[in-house]
Amino acid sequence: MAGVVLKSLKKSFGAVEVIKGIDLEVKAGEFCVFVGPSGCGKSTLLRIIAGLEQATAGEIWIDGREVTGAEPSDRGIAMVFQSYALYPHLTVRENIGFGLSLARLPKDQIRARVDAAAAALQLGPLMDRKPKALSGGQRQRVAIGRAIVRDPKVFLFDEPLSNLDAALRAQMRIELTDLHRRLGATMIYVTHDQIEAMTMADKIVVLNAGRIEQVGTPMQLYNHPATPFVAGFIGSPKMNLFTGETARALGCTTYGIRPEHLALSPTAGTWQGKVRHIEHLGADTVIYLDVPSLGELVARVAGEMAADRGDMLWASPMPGREFRFD
Amino acid sequence: MTRNSLSVRQRNTGLIATAAAAVIFITPFLYIFFMAMKTKKEAALFLFSWPREWHFWSNLTEVIMARNYMLLLAYMNSTLITVGAVTLLILFGAMVGYILQRRPSGWNRLIYAGVLVGLMVPPAVVPTIWVLQGLHLFKTLQGMVLIQVAYGLAFSVLLYRSFIATIPRDLDEAAIIDGAKPLQIFVKVILPLLRPVTVTLIVVQSIAIFNDFTNPLYYLPGKENVTVQLTLFNFQSQFQSQFNLLFMNILLVTIPPLIVFVFFNRQIVAGMTAGAVKG
Repeated sequence: MAGVVLKSLKKSFGAVEVIKGIDLEVKAGEFCVFVGPSGCGKSTLLRIIAGLEQATAGEIWIDGREVTGAEPSDRGIAMVFQSYALYPHLTVRENIGFGLSLARLPKDQIRARVDAAAAALQLGPLMDRKPKALSGGQRQRVAIGRAIVRDPKVFLFDEPLSNLDAALRAQMRIELTDLHRRLGATMIYVTHDQIEAMTMADKIVVLNAGRIEQVGTPMQLYNHPATPFVAGFIGSPKMNLFTGETARALGCTTYGIRPEHLALSPTAGTWQGKVRHIEHLGADTVIYLDVPSLGELVARVAGEMAADRGDMLWASPMPGREFRFD
Repeated sequence: MTRNSLSVRQRNTGLIATAAAAVIFITPFLYIFFMAMKTKKEAALFLFSWPREWHFWSNLTEVIMARNYMLLLAYMNSTLITVGAVTLLILFGAMVGYILQRRPSGWNRLIYAGVLVGLMVPPAVVPTIWVLQGLHLFKTLQGMVLIQVAYGLAFSVLLYRSFIATIPRDLDEAAIIDGAKPLQIFVKVILPLLRPVTVTLIVVQSIAIFNDFTNPLYYLPGKENVTVQLTLFNFQSQFQSQFNLLFMNILLVTIPPLIVFVFFNRQIVAGMTAGAVKG
């Protein structure tokens, strides 16, 4: 069991500061997700923890030991890459056992540990294949197997599911969560997909432009976003956010209301708007309203709500669900 | 385009081109072959004709035994030079190409410019001989190996560098995380993936070095240093009129590179285009 502590971590590439001072504690056994838009520095932060990039300033502690200048292999970490980075010329067995054979472990011991990792990931029948003969999901499993077999203190995942199709991604989310529960290891997971963050994380770290916006459990971030950025990033469809005159009229700098916290009525409500577009998701229906006083307003209502394009509808925020940011 | 979609015109053009190429490339071989079988008198006529009498065996033994089995010594020298030079070319070409491609450094631009200069500027013979004499490498096989490495290195560095650019950096990083040291990354991860280029280089360079006539002529004088191509030169002066033996010698010298080429032909094409397109 090992925690990860980052102390005022900074990273610059030339004159560009990508990470602008990050303080964070990931507790032992936690599943921590770094989430943020492209270019917010989340992958760079992960690579600094892995030791693939050197921090410009600050400290990294893993398992109570400072590893800021340590070699990646001495940090007790394992990493799963977005591209999986399997060695194309080696079989699945050799791929998984590569690190162990570099460490000059006895052959029978390597074999036993590789077999154990393979069994945990149901890779048994694929052991003698080369990566090019595997499907995307299978490659993903091999990459995870290569991480597991090293028995690391901390697992690092760099957008591991982004190359998979939607169905497989949903399945792998569950498998990864299961794996985390089984191993009880600390995991740090980078993604730009807020659904992955919400469904898998014990703790979400929202990053924006090289800084931490907010840290919290998925539901904390959903219910109590600290900034408009977090409010807009967590939740799907995106929260309706209004600034300028509109917000000032409502008594704040930025006013936010989630689509699922709007009640629609054909007769009465707070804002009246014309239906511009309707998305039927089955269980839910997402309705886009053109409200003259606000602009576009998105509402998410029950699937059986009957409405047509061009209808005039009234939308009202549910009490206690509005957000006012200053 | 699949084979079925060739039109009649395309097929005919292809057949004619293939036939023309076959005539152009096979005729000289046939000429050499026929000349090598003839008697001394008949060969002196230089006719492209069927030999009246076949003297394969007697010509062969005569060529091999000439000047105290010089051809066998030449085979050994040429093989040593070729194997030595190609090994170094592959090893250094891959290493330099890897560092040039992977490591961001201001020096790399300068080094890369140097590599390009190596391709463009023709070597000067006399200063090279001075350098070899200064290093006591003149008239030695080691000196010849180094000359061949120097002449071929720019090409192999370029080929390796462009191919390494298509190998994702993630592989290097995955190996780093697995605990590989820089040399281990190169030997265990990168080098095996360079196989298509390596095969190409082995074939292209070994044929070029084995067939080299001028460089051994300049840099490797001396009877004990003779290489296969130089045996032709010696024959011509010694058996001024024995063209049947000269052509038998040509035949013997041509066969090893030809075999290499026939076997690796397909892989050469794969290797030459391997770095060109990402895929």
